[in-house]
Amino acid sequence: MKKDKSLVIGSGRLGSGIAGKLSDMGYNVLIVDKDNSSFRKLTDNFSGYDVVGDATDLSILESEALIKEVNEVIITTDSDNVNLFIAHVCFYIYDIPHIYVRFSDTDKGKLIENTTIQGIYPFTLSITDFLEKRDESAKL
Amino acid sequence: MKIVVANGTHEADFIIKKFKAEHQQLTVINSSKEFGEYISNSNHIPVLFGDPTKEYTLDDANIRDADVLIALSENDIDNYVTCITAKKLFGVKRVVSVVRNPKRVDLFKKLGVDSVISSTYLLGESIKSESILESFIRTLSIENDKVVITEIQVESDFALASQQVKDIHFPANINISCIFRDPDVIIAKGDTVILPGDKLLVISTPGEQKSILDFIQIKVQNNES
Repeated sequence: MKKDKSLVIGSGRLGSGIAGKLSDMGYNVLIVDKDNSSFRKLTDNFSGYDVVGDATDLSILESEALIKEVNEVIITTDSDNVNLFIAHVCFYIYDIPHIYVRFSDTDKGKLIENTTIQGIYPFTLSITDFLEKRDESAKL
Repeated sequence: MKIVVANGTHEADFIIKKFKAEHQQLTVINSSKEFGEYISNSNHIPVLFGDPTKEYTLDDANIRDADVLIALSENDIDNYVTCITAKKLFGVKRVVSVVRNPKRVDLFKKLGVDSVISSTYLLGESIKSESILESFIRTLSIENDKVVITEIQVESDFALASQQVKDIHFPANINISCIFRDPDVIIAKGDTVILPGDKLLVISTPGEQKSILDFIQIKVQNNES
């Protein structure tokens, strides 16, 4: 089976934004959210599939989200605990080649050490952004 | 043994009593202030208020190198995170999780949780092994008769038939663990409606069993009475 799909879990601002970008770039995108109304955030030209369901349920991942055909997964639900659990399932059970997971709490990063799972930390990114902008301001 | 009990309500209270009687070294964490205080008062032990899925809470609770951690929250995913954090970051020797969804038993084990307990799963297994049983009410005892599981079929003239679980005023310490509604097994939530023909499974102590049976079998008041 060809692993050529990009799976986004959680259709919040970040998830729907990433799904839109990947879809624009020509990738075969699936996006999963528990709540049907979350897909309103997707842009009009999004050409992927949206799936309503609970991504912590393996039967949903397998039958609806086609997890076995997925090359990359981006996990962005609003719960760090759910994100960590799904990331572990993708890594240890399904062997997904590329896994990205958003964590609000940077401590959660310790639980993906020694795996290929990559953490995305809005907290760290904001601080870096702030410090850069501060440097630039100081030069003015 | 150093034992950590993370979250949970009446079942936490129950096993804490048991461990305390065995003089185990107990650490109790609860994210509900109200229930934490209840457990603390009822067992005369300190309870740390906090979210056990957070590393800093487990750090505050000083759980390093504990022998066992038991995660009893109603949220399966939270229990997973508590167990994995305790095991990976604090070297807890054995982590135990309860799960609501019986399908997660094998999955959590594959992901590194040492023991996974689903009451529905256990009940299913136990009930299957009890063969004869034509009787209307069945009882199963576990843990040397300290706990009994009562199965009772709902008749259409029971007062609780066709009501939502949240609207039924159960006596203290009674909870419906699950409902057999052929072919499904339903975990009772507040909005679950009990139907005639359902088989209710109720866990209790032997002493409470009679009051449970009496309560469930209350009939709808008819006009003559």
